[in-house]
Amino acid sequence: LARIPQLAETATRPPQTTMSSSTTTTDESPVLQDLRRHLTGSSTDSGAAIDPEHRTAVALPVAAIKSLLGVIQRSQANTMMGLQEELRGAAEEMMAFATDCPGSLQLLGGRSHIALASGCELFMKYVTRAYLELPDFAACIAQIMERGERFAGISLAARDRIADVGQAFIQDGQTVLTHGWSRVVSNLLVKAAEHRHFSIVVLEGRPDAAGAKAAKVYADAGIPTTVVLDSAMSYVMENVDLVIVGAEGVVENGGIVNKIGTYGLGIAARELGKPFYVAAESYKFARLFPLNQSDLPPLGRNAAILSFVDTASWEMTGGLVGRPPPSAKEGADGEQVDSSSIPGVVQFKSEQVKVKNPPCDYTPAKYITLLFTDLGVLTPSAVSDELIRLYQ
Amino acid sequence: MFRILTEGNFPCTFICSDPKHFEEEFSGISLGASNSVQNFHPAVLSLGMQYASGTIRGGNARAKAMLRTFQQVIRDYEPPAPSSPSSSRGGGKEDDVRHDLDHRIIKPAFQYWTTKCRPHSVSMGNAFTFLKLAVASLDRDMSVEEVKEILVDTIDAYIHERIDIADEAICKHGSSKIVDGDVILTYGCSSVVEVLLMDAAREKGADTFRIIVVDSRPLLEGRALVARLADAGIECTYILLNALSYVMMREVTKVFLGAAALMSDGSVLSRVGTACVALMARSNNIPVLVCCETYKISNRVQLESITVNELGNPDDVISASCAMNGAASTAADCKQIDSVLGNWRDMPNLKVLSLLYDLTPSEFVSGIVTEMGILPATSVAVLLREMNPQDTNTAFMGSM
Repeated sequence: LARIPQLAETATRPPQTTMSSSTTTTDESPVLQDLRRHLTGSSTDSGAAIDPEHRTAVALPVAAIKSLLGVIQRSQANTMMGLQEELRGAAEEMMAFATDCPGSLQLLGGRSHIALASGCELFMKYVTRAYLELPDFAACIAQIMERGERFAGISLAARDRIADVGQAFIQDGQTVLTHGWSRVVSNLLVKAAEHRHFSIVVLEGRPDAAGAKAAKVYADAGIPTTVVLDSAMSYVMENVDLVIVGAEGVVENGGIVNKIGTYGLGIAARELGKPFYVAAESYKFARLFPLNQSDLPPLGRNAAILSFVDTASWEMTGGLVGRPPPSAKEGADGEQVDSSSIPGVVQFKSEQVKVKNPPCDYTPAKYITLLFTDLGVLTPSAVSDELIRLYQ
Repeated sequence: MFRILTEGNFPCTFICSDPKHFEEEFSGISLGASNSVQNFHPAVLSLGMQYASGTIRGGNARAKAMLRTFQQVIRDYEPPAPSSPSSSRGGGKEDDVRHDLDHRIIKPAFQYWTTKCRPHSVSMGNAFTFLKLAVASLDRDMSVEEVKEILVDTIDAYIHERIDIADEAICKHGSSKIVDGDVILTYGCSSVVEVLLMDAAREKGADTFRIIVVDSRPLLEGRALVARLADAGIECTYILLNALSYVMMREVTKVFLGAAALMSDGSVLSRVGTACVALMARSNNIPVLVCCETYKISNRVQLESITVNELGNPDDVISASCAMNGAASTAADCKQIDSVLGNWRDMPNLKVLSLLYDLTPSEFVSGIVTEMGILPATSVAVLLREMNPQDTNTAFMGSM
């Protein structure tokens, strides 16, 4: 049985303040507190505007790196080895949080934590390299802090660079198919729409209504948008000209990990001869080599918590569709409300029906035509070249 | 390497003009043979015997044995007596220890093994190139003792880093892909795959996975492997290559293969039959992982298995009983079976071919496990650039 107490909560409280009233933050370590702070953008120094429609203000790897900077700031270590130990511990803590802590689900939206791991690893590699260049500990720390502060800005700049290189691949009169909600892709498409006329087809994106969110953004930008069911992706494929998706992580062989459904999209696109493009920043390159779908890093306990939700659900789409549910408060004797009474929640009563809802899948490199990154336009085989250079 | 050329429309072998001569070359290496003018170190001759008879097989074993033999030779090396005043050029090439080592000792030994005993493997070739570079980069004014010490140490370091430590790293990366319930298939006997599987059994428990060892005639190398794996407590199955499709479709979850060499386009040179295994796995959507140390990467590109290959003894193919230290049936049975094609040499239209290697195209390989991690086949050229920079200079290779 899949109950969703969180839905009951969000019905009454807007997303941003959920974290502040949670009781667990007080006994959380400073690292995790930092991570929450950066993800929800509730700190004033983040420099990034809090967007009420997006669950997190900054990308997950960026928030992770900022938390690691906080570790450096608080650190009492006098040697690089000691500092690296602390950083490693903090990274492991954040990974454990992402995989096993129920509270992280709402914060991260059940997205893959590959980007979190790759961002941390990248930062620690950078720290090591900086120390090799600047053996003086204090000066090295100062440089790392300064570079880290600029990282959020670098991340935003990466998105703009991706938009620059990717725009050339969309021509007037074409139809673009996209899937899932990605800030990188939306930035690319909105910027491209400033110079060209094209239309977008968006897959609905169950169970988190990512497609509905994306459709709203594109429609607001003046791009003609069509929303279709996830299952209609092969049907519409013959009428689109290209496919663009984002990525949670880019793996060693040039394949990507992205929202569930991307793999099928890749197969359909290749079969019908449509180019399949991926827009991703280079800090998403991870040293993973999945052999098949079951070879992805395990999701921990969070994998079981997701369940199916009808996207015609008012609070899931931020008021875009559906109607508000009746007030779902706790019963007088503290009993949890039966979530089947909340419209839009699919509930299986039988014990014999298992619900599996993997949030991500792995799309092998052979289905990907090109990757738009801040390092330029890469073929899938160039990703490994970059990774070898980065981690040499 | 022996080349197979075509004559008219019929492919035929051109090793030497007469198959009988080939047999002599292959099976009989006599010490102090009439055409060997130079006096080789006994270790060189003994290693040559081991290569020719097949006692030492496998890329790593041959390269290691070669390097150890060179260490021995270098330790026993005595520089030539200073040249007599009449022919002296004083400080000329004759007095250069490096040049003497290279031209009088190292190169002839390698050529002897390659031409008289068995063509060298890519691993031997790369190790030999490394050794020549090491000799050439020595200081000109060093004493003989210093030269010996440095070279012996350098060879030790090469073996340690590029083979032993690399194998450990490959084990670590490869066994991270082995999960509970896996049925792992391997072909022939690869030293690094054996170490990987033993390691995984030790770390995860011998009962977490099963192994299927596929073997083929005439070498039947897999028997020794499966005996050792079974002794380690791992549940094993042993089949011959012709039964491959049966297990592949039903049971196998992953395939681990070894390699003699990696070509720079990502194709894999390995024991003949490997391409078959990889192809079958690919068509059943089973991941194929090739385990190979980076020192075996060749800057050559080979398009198919025929043009450059090594020939084995054709009689091994003909003989129906186990050719190599086999427990055959009765002597009478063997005689009877072997007599079927026993006179193949007298049949004018029959050629017998025993190929030792084949080429697996990179499309059939899901990933290559190296000490740098698991990489796609397309990254072999990148590894060549990063790890074997001396091999990317084709002009240098031409001088070998």
